[in-house]
Amino acid sequence: MSRITRGRRAFFLALAFTILWTSGAPAKTVVLDDTGTQALAPAVALRWKSLAPGRSGADNLLVGTTTFRIRINVAPWLRRNVRIYLALPAQQPGPMTVSWVGQGQLLPGRLQSGNRALVYSGPITRPFLEDQVRFQFSVDGTLVARPFPVNLQFEMDE
Amino acid sequence: MKTVLSSPESGAVGCHRTGPRRRSLGAALMAAGGAALVGAGGGPAWGFTANLAPAAPQTIYLQVGVGAFTNCYTCTPQGTPENNTTVNTVSVTVPSTAVGSGTAQAMTTNSTATQSFWDNYVYCSVPSQLYIGGFFRTAGGSTAAAQVTASAPSALTDATGDALPFSQISWTSSGNGDSGAEPFPAGTFVGGSTQSVGAMSSNTWNESCWTFSYKNAKAFPAGTYSGTVVYTMTAP
Repeated sequence: MSRITRGRRAFFLALAFTILWTSGAPAKTVVLDDTGTQALAPAVALRWKSLAPGRSGADNLLVGTTTFRIRINVAPWLRRNVRIYLALPAQQPGPMTVSWVGQGQLLPGRLQSGNRALVYSGPITRPFLEDQVRFQFSVDGTLVARPFPVNLQFEMDE
Repeated sequence: MKTVLSSPESGAVGCHRTGPRRRSLGAALMAAGGAALVGAGGGPAWGFTANLAPAAPQTIYLQVGVGAFTNCYTCTPQGTPENNTTVNTVSVTVPSTAVGSGTAQAMTTNSTATQSFWDNYVYCSVPSQLYIGGFFRTAGGSTAAAQVTASAPSALTDATGDALPFSQISWTSSGNGDSGAEPFPAGTFVGGSTQSVGAMSSNTWNESCWTFSYKNAKAFPAGTYSGTVVYTMTAP
């Protein structure tokens, strides 16, 4: 067996082990402690995006905005590089969209329920990640019969 | 004819501040692409909650004859409904040679409303047609339609007290480019009562153009007869 062949075998063997090792240790998604997060406004009032409906009966979005002072405890990851996501789990009353913009600490973005979006990528240099973020929620008005809560969370994969 | 314009009604706002929300780890465990979901440090899962509530879920707009928008709704800048208290007139002068002949006499209006405030589409023709339209905005799935009624006195009267039954006046319904059923169909006044003249499905712009006519079925004493019809929109 030539040296080159042995080298190739070793490479593929290592690759196989690597793949096996990866599939045997699934990523653990950690929901971050955001205990210090506060809403600056007491309510999110939904209003028609279009005051008047169309002839076809479409365009029934309700939209509402609110601001949160976000405070995420990232002390366990000090001096580590992390990727933090904002997640909007699928929930009642149905599909919805949230978009947001902060003041620089967190990335702006937009996502639909059942998904998540990256809001921070980089080193953790302080025990808390803080930003003031303005959220806009959009939901089909025909699904909304009464007030309802929308749950969001920050998470990362370990 | 009378124009009734109802302004938007605001519903109650029922929101409150939201704060951190704890959930049990068991309830938070999810399968997401093979990843386990846990709270930081293996403790409770975290997250925050925004409470949303429809603040102005019901809005109604009815226009009979001329109405008022700041601009057409789909125009730039986008228009919004306004109040307009104009009372338009629909009238006819019957030639002396035709009085009571049984030949219907077409009526005309002083309304200048030809365009739909939705998109400025020229929908009605004046003076032969009277615009009627509006919408009923409501949240929360399918609901019953908003109803539009007309309340007419039993008769039109002249200065000397002669009476001409409102039932002598009818209307047909159409609209430029329309096909299918009209939301405000043809009809005849039922004097002395309140009658349905159409319905508005929720979250849909509804409109029709009415063409009025006087039946001229019998001769009435010469004079100028007048009466007022009040149109009312009622949302469920």
